[in-house]
Amino acid sequence: MSDARDAELDRMRRQRPRDRFARATALLLFAFGAGAWLSGALRPGELFGSRQQGNLRRFLFEELPPAPLRGDGASWSDWFGGLLGGRGIEAALAGANTTFWIAALAIVLAATGGALAAPFAARTLARPDPYGRADAEHPSRARTLTAAATALRFLLVLARAMPEYVLAYLGLAVFGFTVWPLVFALALHNCGILGRLGAETIENLDPTPMRQLRLAGASRAQMLAASGLPAATPNYLLYVFYRFETCVREATVLGLLGVASLGYWIEEARIRAYYDELVLLILLAMVLVLLAEVASTAARAWIRRSG
Amino acid sequence: MSAGFTARPLLGRRSATVLAALGLGVIAWFQLGLTLDDLLPDPARGATARAFATAALHPAFDYQGDFVPAAAPPFWRGVAAAALRTVVFAAGGMFLAVIGGLVLGMLASASWWRTAGAGPLGGRLRPVGLVAARVTIAGLRSVHELLWAVLFLAALGVSPAAGAIAIAIPYAGTLAKVFSEQVDEVPRDASRAMGALGAGGTLQFTCGLLPRAARQMASFTFYQFECSVRAAAVLGFFGFPTLGQKIAASFANGNYGEVWSYLYALIALVLTIEMWSARLRSGRSVR
Repeated sequence: MSDARDAELDRMRRQRPRDRFARATALLLFAFGAGAWLSGALRPGELFGSRQQGNLRRFLFEELPPAPLRGDGASWSDWFGGLLGGRGIEAALAGANTTFWIAALAIVLAATGGALAAPFAARTLARPDPYGRADAEHPSRARTLTAAATALRFLLVLARAMPEYVLAYLGLAVFGFTVWPLVFALALHNCGILGRLGAETIENLDPTPMRQLRLAGASRAQMLAASGLPAATPNYLLYVFYRFETCVREATVLGLLGVASLGYWIEEARIRAYYDELVLLILLAMVLVLLAEVASTAARAWIRRSG
Repeated sequence: MSAGFTARPLLGRRSATVLAALGLGVIAWFQLGLTLDDLLPDPARGATARAFATAALHPAFDYQGDFVPAAAPPFWRGVAAAALRTVVFAAGGMFLAVIGGLVLGMLASASWWRTAGAGPLGGRLRPVGLVAARVTIAGLRSVHELLWAVLFLAALGVSPAAGAIAIAIPYAGTLAKVFSEQVDEVPRDASRAMGALGAGGTLQFTCGLLPRAARQMASFTFYQFECSVRAAAVLGFFGFPTLGQKIAASFANGNYGEVWSYLYALIALVLTIEMWSARLRSGRSVR
C-alpha cells in the first residue's frame, strides 16, 4: 500500500512541469553572484582593510557629526545658517522643488509618448486581421502597420536600454547646462518602459468588446476609440504613477551631474567634503521620495477603486 | 426602475486624471523656468554635438587617444572586460539583494506571519515585526543606489565591494516589497488544505504558498537584474571600474568613437538580458 503510494508520488514528481531554461538561468546567476564575491573580483576583504577602517572611523566620528557636536564652539544657529555655503536650507528645499517638477514634466512627456506609441506597438493590433476581421483598406496598409510595429517595439527597447544617467550626461554635454537634458533623459527612458507596458495592457485586454465592434464594421481607430483605449487607461495610469515614483528618485540623482536638482547640492557637499551636510541632504532626498511614494500609492488606490 | 442607470458625470475620473496630469506639465514648465531657446543645442557646443553625433556611425575599433600605453590590451578586450566587470558588479549586488529581499520579504508578508511565523512567540511579535519590516523596506528603497555609493565613497573611499553593496541595499528593499506582495496575493487554498490535514506552519508556507509565487518572483528578480546592470554601468561615473567609467573617460578626452563603442556594448548587454527575460517569461522550455 505504502509502496504503491510512494511509487505514484514518485511518478508525479518526475512528471511535474520543469522549466530547464529557467533552472539553468537561476544556476548561472547564482554562480555568477557567488563567484563575484568568492573569487575576490569585488575585493570584499578591502572593506575591512586598515585604511578603510581608518576612513570609516574618521567619517563617523569627525566628519559626520555637525560642527556644534564636534565641540569646537560653533552654535547650532551658525551651523544651520551656514548650510550650502551660507545659502541656508532654503536652497536645498528649492532643489527639492525643482527635483519634483523635473520628475513631473518628464513623466507627463513619457506618459504622452508611451500612450501614442502603445496602440501602434501592440501585437494584437499589428496584424492584417485585428480582432477577427481584415482591413477594408488596401492590404499594403496592414503590412506597413505590422512593419512599423516591429520597428517601434525595437525603438522602445533601445529607449529603455540606456540608463537615464548616461542619457543626461551626454545630453548636458550637447545642450548645455539647462534642465532640459534631465527632463529628456527621464522622459525617453520612461517612454520606452511605458510604451511597452501600454502595449502589453492593450494586448491583455478582454477581446470581446473590440471583436464585436470590429465585426460590426468598425475601423481600427473606431474600435480603439470606442473600446480599447478607454478600457486600457486605468491600468496604464497605474503604471504611470508607479513610474512617477521612480522618476522622483532618478531626478534627485541626475542633479549629481551639476544641474540644480537636489543632487546638485549633494555633489557640492561631497566635493567640499562637508559630510554632515551630505547626510542631511540625503535624508531630505529620502523624505522627498517617501512623499512621492505616498502620493503615487494614494493615486493608484484611487484609480483601482474607481476602475 | 432607475436602478442600474446613473447620470454620467460631466468629467469622468479617467479624463480628470489625464487632464490633471497635463496641467501638472504646464505648472512644471513655469516652475522650472523653461524656455524653448534652451532646446536648441548650445552654439558653443555645436562642434562637440556634431562630432559626437557623427561618431555614432563610426564607433571605434581601436584606441583613439594619442598616448596608448604599450601594455594596454587590444581595444575590444578592454570593452569586453569593462562589460564583464559591469555584470560582475550587478551580479554581486543582486546576490546580496536576493538574500536580503527573501528574508525581509518574508518578515513583511502577512501570510508568513500567519503560517511559518505563527506560534506563541510569533503571535506576540507579529504586529511589531510586520511594521518594522515594512518601515525598514521603505527606508532602504527611498535612498537611490547612487546616493548609497556617494555615501560609501565618503565613508570608505573607492572599493569595488562598496559599489556592489550600494546596489544591493535599495534593490533588497524593492525585492522584499515585491516578494511580500506576490506571496500575499497567492491563492491560499493549498496551504489551508495542508493545514487542515495537520501540516505545520513552516510546511504550509514553503510548500503551499511559496511555490505558487516562485515563478513571478523569479521573473521580477530577473527584471531587477536587468536594472542592476544599468545601475552598475552608471556606478562607473563615480570611479568604479565599470562601463560608465570608460564612457566618462573617453568622452572627457574627446574620443567620441570610443564612447559609442562602449555605449553599443552597454546596449548589447541590456538587449541580451531583455531577450533572455522574454524567453524566460514565454516559458517555452517548460516540459
